[in-house]
Amino acid sequence: MESKPSNSPSSLVDQHVFPGDVVLDLSKMTNQTIKLGSSLRQDGDAISAMKAGKLRFAKPNKYWVESSHKRYVPCAGDTVLGIVVDSKADYFLVDIKAPTLAFLPVLAFEGGTRRNIPKFEMGTLLYARVVMANTGMNPELACMDATGKAAEFGPLKDGYMFESTTGLSRMLLKSPPCPLLETLGKKLAFEIAVGLNGRVWVNASSPSIIILVANSIMKSESLSPVQQKIMVDNLLQRVQ
Amino acid sequence: MEQRLANTWRMTVNEKKFIETALLSDLRIDGRRPFDYRNITIRFGREDGSSEVQLGQTHVMGFVTCQLVQPYRDRPNEGTLAIYTEFSPMADPSFEAGRPAESAVELGRIIDRGLRESRAVDTESLCVVAGKWVWSLRVDLHILDNGGNLVDAANIAALSALLTFRRPECTFGGEDGQDVIIHAPEAREPLPLTVHHLPIAITFAFIGDENTVVIDPTHFEEAVMGGRMTATVNANGDICAVQKAGGEGVIQSVIMQCLRIASVKAADITTKIEDAVKSNNTERALRKIKRHPPSVVVDVIKAGEKGANNLLKENMEKPQLKIEDSSFSQGDDMDIETESSKQDDGRTRTDKDASFIGGPSSWDPYSKGVNADELKASLASRVAVTSPKDTTPLVEPPVTVTDLPVTSTTAASSSTETTGAGQQTNKEKTLKDAVKPKHKRKKKTSAS
Repeated sequence: MESKPSNSPSSLVDQHVFPGDVVLDLSKMTNQTIKLGSSLRQDGDAISAMKAGKLRFAKPNKYWVESSHKRYVPCAGDTVLGIVVDSKADYFLVDIKAPTLAFLPVLAFEGGTRRNIPKFEMGTLLYARVVMANTGMNPELACMDATGKAAEFGPLKDGYMFESTTGLSRMLLKSPPCPLLETLGKKLAFEIAVGLNGRVWVNASSPSIIILVANSIMKSESLSPVQQKIMVDNLLQRVQ
Repeated sequence: MEQRLANTWRMTVNEKKFIETALLSDLRIDGRRPFDYRNITIRFGREDGSSEVQLGQTHVMGFVTCQLVQPYRDRPNEGTLAIYTEFSPMADPSFEAGRPAESAVELGRIIDRGLRESRAVDTESLCVVAGKWVWSLRVDLHILDNGGNLVDAANIAALSALLTFRRPECTFGGEDGQDVIIHAPEAREPLPLTVHHLPIAITFAFIGDENTVVIDPTHFEEAVMGGRMTATVNANGDICAVQKAGGEGVIQSVIMQCLRIASVKAADITTKIEDAVKSNNTERALRKIKRHPPSVVVDVIKAGEKGANNLLKENMEKPQLKIEDSSFSQGDDMDIETESSKQDDGRTRTDKDASFIGGPSSWDPYSKGVNADELKASLASRVAVTSPKDTTPLVEPPVTVTDLPVTSTTAASSSTETTGAGQQTNKEKTLKDAVKPKHKRKKKTSAS
């Protein structure tokens, strides 16, 4: 594994990097504030990658490494699907496929006071946002967005949840939407919630639609966009 | 403690409800119908008696080994069969290395009961010296991935491993004929086990209310089910074992329906196993035969191009010669022991050679196989003349076979003629020991 110190920050963007590669050299860059996303770590003046994947850059100043794993490393700002494991006095213990369980404070809901604490039983599926994720500490979640509004966060009722890799979740959340969801959405009516921790929840009016959508998503992970469209077309033709 | 909590796999309330609702409309979460099995893939390793079975996501490996041991006191002329299971922690987060869990013991017990009580494996044929030495078979099952329904997959792995297992042949020797000599696989062809029938385990899961039954449950369905039942049935419709350990109560009519469905599925799976074993046997035979040096292949191809028609004519005679050979050796009482064993080996080799597909495509595969057999037989007869009681003839043919084709450079038709004659001499040598084979061979070449 060779470390490639880059002269300009953009030289390694969209390239494959390996753990230990120095992707940015701060001493060579002028006064800039850079935001580091997942799998990037600062060692003095060198920014090095911690996971193997593609280095990505988003304007104005965010860098991160994209990789696909079955495990999830929590990062602040991500939206995830969690399963309630236990409820304590001040927080719920939620499993988000991270190395440790996450805490969801009891008051982290829209209009949450000590009087109206929600009651979640074990096994409830929640759509939540990661507020804080530091190494070594349990991540903290919230069921409201940064401004305090509910914004679709909270428990998900009915439907079916399945687990996959983080890469698949990112593909499903792309904008413009990936051809798979587009083609499915043209013929079928369903709702879907995607967590960046590799969990996907699907709900529709009939079980057959749910099963169709879930299985086609699971199968589409290794397919290119064109192949996805072909697969979905075949599947829909067979059903109808 | 928290680490363990974070690592366990959990089900949501939504999933449980969904699986039950979907089953009301006869749908399962992977798109199957309630009585559909997942795809079964059976693969074999290079060694005899090693199998790998994939049932959807479930992955199991089976391995059979044998050892000569003293028999149990109450069964002095029967071999033993033991099943060992290993639930590897990589299969499921809930499996732990070390002491087997309750489910592991139950799985081993179900498979053991299916094989032993139904007498599927003939243990009496495993006896070598009654009361002193018997073969002890050990079946090791390694669970590599738990995608649900481990019992069925492990059972198929055990059966395929037992069907492809070969135990070494052993004869008596030593001064007083009491010592048992185990022959190496290179010296004597190892023997397969006698398996009378194949007991197939079919697992049913009862989900929700008692009328919802599904076959071959996945990991999700197993987490949601209320009870489970395993029926071990064979293709003849005999019920070898039924296992229902706890769980929800089920009415009698549902159980009868399950048993009926199980016997249908068992027939399907039996054909799948038998097909896989057959193709493995042909592959194994191919591997054994490919000992010819490259020069032979070149010669054969040349000869094939030259006189394909000529050879075909020659080869048409071969089937008849073969039939005569088997009838002769069967009816002959004067055979020396090693001679008969040699014949047996020759015949078993023929069976394998018959499936050999090699050389140019214009050749008839069956006749090509018979060719190789006759080469060996002719050489065996030549060697046998000198020392009939030696066990070396069996070792030598593989060496001398390579010599003969190399010497006969041009037309392979000449070699087929001599081998045809050789076949005849082999038969006649057993009947009339005094007659020199050379004369007979000359006579036969003039006749043909």
